[in-house]
Amino acid sequence: MAEKKIGKGMTSIGLWIGGIRPTKVIWFAGIVMMLLMVLAPVFVMVKYSISDRSSVVTGGLPIPLWPYHPTVEQFQGLAAMDTFVVSAFTSVKVALLSAVISLVVGTPAAYALVRFRFRGMMVLATLLISARLFPDIVSVVPIVETFIRLRLVNTLLGVAMAHALLSMPYVIFIAMGVFETIPRDLDEQAQVLGASKWHSFTRVMLPVALPGLAAAAIYVFLLSWDEFILAYFLLAFGNVSTLPVLLQKVLSWTPQHNLLAAISVMLSAPVILFTFMVQKYMQTGATAGAVK
Amino acid sequence: MTAYSPNLPTVRNKGIMVAIRRNIFGMIILAPAVLYLSGFLLIILFKVVQLALTHTGPQGDLFPTAHHFLRLSNNPEFQGAFARTVWFTLIGTPLELIIGMAAAFLVVGEFKGRGVVRSLMILPLAIPSIVTAIMLYIIFDFPGGHVNDLLMGRHAFFPFQVISHPLNWRGSGFFSLMVAIFGKVWRDMPISMLIILAGLQAIGKDQYEAARTLGANALQTFFRITLPLLTPAMSTVLVLRSIEIWKEFIFPFILAGSYPLLATLIDRAYHEWRNPNEACAIALILLVLIIMSTALIFYVLKWLRRRLVRV
Amino acid sequence: MATVKLRSISKEFGASEVIRNLDLVVDHGEFVTLVGPSGCGKTTVLRMVAGLEVITSGHLYIGHVLANHIPPRDRGVSMVFQSYALFPHMTVSENIAFGLKIKKYARSEMLKRIDWALNLLNLQGLESRLPRDLSGGQRQRVAFARAVVVEPEVLLLDEPLSNLDATLRLKMRIELKRIHKKLGATIIYVTHDQIEAMSLSDRVAIMHEGKLAQVGTPKEVYNAPGNAFVAGFIGNPAMNFFNGKIVRRDGGLFVDLGKFELSIPESLCKKCQSHLAREVSLGIRPEHIYDKRASKIESLPGNTIEMVTDVVEPLGDRDIVQVNKDGIHVTLLLDPEIETKPNKPMTIVFDMARCHIFDKETEKSIICTPSHGKTLEEPLLSPLE
Repeated sequence: MAEKKIGKGMTSIGLWIGGIRPTKVIWFAGIVMMLLMVLAPVFVMVKYSISDRSSVVTGGLPIPLWPYHPTVEQFQGLAAMDTFVVSAFTSVKVALLSAVISLVVGTPAAYALVRFRFRGMMVLATLLISARLFPDIVSVVPIVETFIRLRLVNTLLGVAMAHALLSMPYVIFIAMGVFETIPRDLDEQAQVLGASKWHSFTRVMLPVALPGLAAAAIYVFLLSWDEFILAYFLLAFGNVSTLPVLLQKVLSWTPQHNLLAAISVMLSAPVILFTFMVQKYMQTGATAGAVK
Repeated sequence: MTAYSPNLPTVRNKGIMVAIRRNIFGMIILAPAVLYLSGFLLIILFKVVQLALTHTGPQGDLFPTAHHFLRLSNNPEFQGAFARTVWFTLIGTPLELIIGMAAAFLVVGEFKGRGVVRSLMILPLAIPSIVTAIMLYIIFDFPGGHVNDLLMGRHAFFPFQVISHPLNWRGSGFFSLMVAIFGKVWRDMPISMLIILAGLQAIGKDQYEAARTLGANALQTFFRITLPLLTPAMSTVLVLRSIEIWKEFIFPFILAGSYPLLATLIDRAYHEWRNPNEACAIALILLVLIIMSTALIFYVLKWLRRRLVRV
Repeated sequence: MATVKLRSISKEFGASEVIRNLDLVVDHGEFVTLVGPSGCGKTTVLRMVAGLEVITSGHLYIGHVLANHIPPRDRGVSMVFQSYALFPHMTVSENIAFGLKIKKYARSEMLKRIDWALNLLNLQGLESRLPRDLSGGQRQRVAFARAVVVEPEVLLLDEPLSNLDATLRLKMRIELKRIHKKLGATIIYVTHDQIEAMSLSDRVAIMHEGKLAQVGTPKEVYNAPGNAFVAGFIGNPAMNFFNGKIVRRDGGLFVDLGKFELSIPESLCKKCQSHLAREVSLGIRPEHIYDKRASKIESLPGNTIEMVTDVVEPLGDRDIVQVNKDGIHVTLLLDPEIETKPNKPMTIVFDMARCHIFDKETEKSIICTPSHGKTLEEPLLSPLE
């Protein structure tokens, strides 16, 4: 309904763009240019990942836009490459752990922020959500220095905790949105029927909020999955790497394009997949606090 | 059993105790997140300031001292990074806004396949920054990257020779950082686009129709209505993106390793110079720069909006 | 079943006082309806009884216990929300079982009670459906079943029928009356629909701007409204009001409406003496005004007026007729057998024995002093017990 209304409001701009012929041509060219620009790096990534050696090392000839002999040998190589497999598992574990931490801690907080409106609550909510604006590159050295003392450097838990710091504001923001859509009546009904507040939260609110929270979980899983800076600083001199850190390491060892591209594909694929699955929530997260 | 007592004390519930009792559950479940976030941020702030102002010399620890700041200010590498960061931000921030607006205006109207186009436009969000950086590293490779091939006219579909020799993109501060900006803008385009799009969609149809009935042409409508009404969304983009670009790490780190910005200099100070104190000093400088520039942008936008409203 | 007593209950939201000094006793097993226009505070009262809203001042007793500080779950009350508030992720029987599980009923007892509730509300066969697969009426019945299955001391109903369509509402009204009879539960019911209020309740509490305007049996509030608000609120179509002055003529009392004078029957004269020569508001229900052709009472100079018909709304069983003259508008109910056409002269007869006279300023009735239903004379326990 709202969508439709918006769409109608837009026609006036659409007309402004599309009304005169030359503008329409420029508009169309613009769309094509934009799409080419957006797709080019993705295309290059896929292309290199299936390139055979002769399509990468050409001996002075221009690099072909499509490999001479498309092959999946890079991926087979990755499957046999211990560091890759271990890093992939590390990434999954870190992302799961950080998602668990930020959801377990952030979801109840979001519920409290929506349901208990005492004085200063909105300020608190704004502060918690805007914690995500704190520059990660500023916090990274203090975190590493602190984690060295706590023996959390080079551990999965350390990285997961740092990632949870980044993702918790997003969890709170998304979960607040989810809880706001659940009528207060359900809560009150549960309490009148004898449920404690905790019981009503865990048995009524959480199950009802589950689909929305799942989207939040996916969002923060991905946030950790492709996070580089904190992981790089926290794992710099250890044996464990997450996939982004491995990618950077491989780049510094050997700039072998098709190998880099294959790892990139493996790193991007889940993100692309889930992004389009939970596109609505991704956009909410990406523009969190911006549109409000 | 007590009999009827006509003068029961009035029960009034205005005390803070009642408020606490009603909200205690909320406070308890809110506490972990507040503690987690504020704990982390306090430790970070404390550590940054402490390390930046401490110098461990032969006579032991010195605190507070401007030692690291003085040393940095005489360090040509820091000076270079500082200058580069400033122009990196000055070019990058407006570019983010312009590209975001261009994308938003391109997809705002109704046309066939708009859904698909919009979805594709979101694609950069779904590619990890590190992957984008590495793809640009490959595309802008020297001597045989795609861009060099293209500009030298080595492909049949573009037979124009723009340059005669391949460019070493990573060998020049200007080119390497431009590539980094390109990457950053590419990756962030969907976010700016979505914010501007939301702003555009908040503008009602009536305003355009009113303008048209008043005889405004397309250009006038754009400058008198669209742009002023879009300023809130544009300010949001400017504020958020400028913060992002000040602190940008991944793209310059991968693509301009030899020409550090302040953010990448933190990495160098920490990992190469093995000097956490100086790393924190740089971080503190960066933080102050970010806060100052955000305040400045806020102030300028407020001033601008007031002027726009008056006119 | 418990008695609910509200003693000088007040509620403030920030600076605004929503409920002021409300006194009300609901006897055990009694069905009391809070009725009033939207924003009069009736739902707030219900929520305070449920414990969902803090009582700013005053005492609330449920049974013999001061309940001000008892959390909702320990009050022994059940509530049916306007939205039904069914848990969307639970089936019908899980919804009904929710309260029983919390109260730790034994499994066999629980199944028995669920069965009983399903039977009571004719929900057999829907046990394993989810709320989204139910019709509006079925959801409503599940909400009822869930509320009554825990054997509440008090059952609170917040506009439970307002989301149903007209036919279903009528059906549920009868159902509700049946359930009340069967359970004998204490029920506090909130509605803005006066017909619902009148048809369901033992007593009606009419609220206006945060205060009780009148409490009484449906008959009392209809026949003897204590003030102009109650008189205008109860009854459909609404009572006619005319501004006038009490004057003395030829030894009798009359209400002077400017162009006309209506005589006050002897039985009421004594009560009106005090307002002689004062501004009053005369109220008379449409059903107590007749067409002269079919008048049930004798047409006399003091109760008969010539008017012109304006609008006729035929309802089938009766016609609502608007007549006017000289700026005075009158609504009356007529038998459809009598032919009425717009813009025709009509002689109407007022049944002055059934008129109401209100003080212009205080809006209080001059002729009826309402008994407040049950008052607070019975002993209350001190809050310490």
